[in-house]
Amino acid sequence: MNAPTEIEMLGLSTALVVISLTYSLVKFTWKYPLRNGPEFFMGCEVPTGFYDGPGRTWLKSYQAIQVALHLVLGVALGTAIALRRWDLTPLCCGAWALLYVATILIFTAWTRRKLGANPPVRPVALALESRRLGDYISWPLEALMFAMVAVSWWLLLSAGETRIKWLYLLYLIWFVLGLLTCKIALIRFSYPLPAERTAEHYRYQDAERRTWIRVVNVLSWFLVFVLLSIALRHTRSLARMEPGLQWFVRGAALALGGSCIFMAFRGIRQLTEMGRDLRPVGSWATPFRASSMWITVSRAYQIWFAVWFGVLLVMILFLCFR
Amino acid sequence: MFLTLQANDKRPIYQQITDGIKSLIAGGDLREGVTLPSVRQVAGDLGVNLNTVAVAYRQLQDEGFVTVRHGAGAVITSRTPRPVDKTELYQPLRTVLTQLILAGLTEHEIEEAVHQQLALVQQKGGAQ
Repeated sequence: MNAPTEIEMLGLSTALVVISLTYSLVKFTWKYPLRNGPEFFMGCEVPTGFYDGPGRTWLKSYQAIQVALHLVLGVALGTAIALRRWDLTPLCCGAWALLYVATILIFTAWTRRKLGANPPVRPVALALESRRLGDYISWPLEALMFAMVAVSWWLLLSAGETRIKWLYLLYLIWFVLGLLTCKIALIRFSYPLPAERTAEHYRYQDAERRTWIRVVNVLSWFLVFVLLSIALRHTRSLARMEPGLQWFVRGAALALGGSCIFMAFRGIRQLTEMGRDLRPVGSWATPFRASSMWITVSRAYQIWFAVWFGVLLVMILFLCFR
Repeated sequence: MFLTLQANDKRPIYQQITDGIKSLIAGGDLREGVTLPSVRQVAGDLGVNLNTVAVAYRQLQDEGFVTVRHGAGAVITSRTPRPVDKTELYQPLRTVLTQLILAGLTEHEIEEAVHQQLALVQQKGGAQ
């Protein structure tokens, strides 16, 4: 039996993404502004009875944005599939993820400006514990990941095929490179803790950090296996010799993709439980200016992040509209 | 272990950080050999300027509470500061005692307040 083709793999991945997003919309996203109870909207403290009055309009606006965003992805994926351009599906997902994050960030900022303009100023607690990269990132595993990427590129470059879509592979590798940057940002970023129930807030913050690092780790491995499977497919001698290898690599890629989604959902559920009765970030102000991720990282990192994000954006736009 | 910074405190931020760390050392929460988070981390977590935290750490270093080792960060060295002149050490205490006398407190009340505050400082994490 032949290993699944690239189109079958893309079809399966797209189906996985659509199912997970639908599940997420119904289960988590739809009532996300209410996750801390009826006293809060998107983390901003609101007066009692808010949801009987203006709160209903706020909630409906949020839900309308969610529906619109999901429709955008649905239309984009539907068009790509109708045109039999399966190669566009990962690009649609990548571009949509950027659009989604940007829209929700703008909506959150707008909410804080309108509903939480003058939050109460409270004492701030600072954890005197160092957050070292090594406590969160396994460097041997990172090295193994980059070695696998190097092997994949060596296989691709030595295959001598003309049908290889180099731009897509560059997009993939650029994305993987940026995921390490994302992990560093997740470790470095923090927010001031409130002085009451500080230990619980601290545990929540650490659990949040570890959950998303775990998800990004699995996502990185998923992309590395996708790259390896593409490299193996183009290396004819290897593909003929070891058909089982193709099955193994593609199966592993799909399993990793599935576990990434599963871990994200499990993490969201656990974090929601943990933070249900904790005062959400943004519902209090600090005597200082807002905590900034940019202070916690070096100038070299800032430049690298800006370059990475800029190039990623250009690649997505170029691949979508060329 | 947490350091609490008050919103309405009149002391500058660097002083609050220095005093807070000193009281954690006095309370036994921060023991010898414990590494403090980097200047960058503290500044980012609090949303203050890097120099503010650097000044606080430098003050702790000058007073002999921490040693800054290249690559290892600021490490708590001792519970006792470098030897200082007792007159210099008692000066702030005299200022506070004067204020308490002027506020009309009796000798007995002042003694009681000093004992209470001392107990708070020695209590784990209770000092600021």
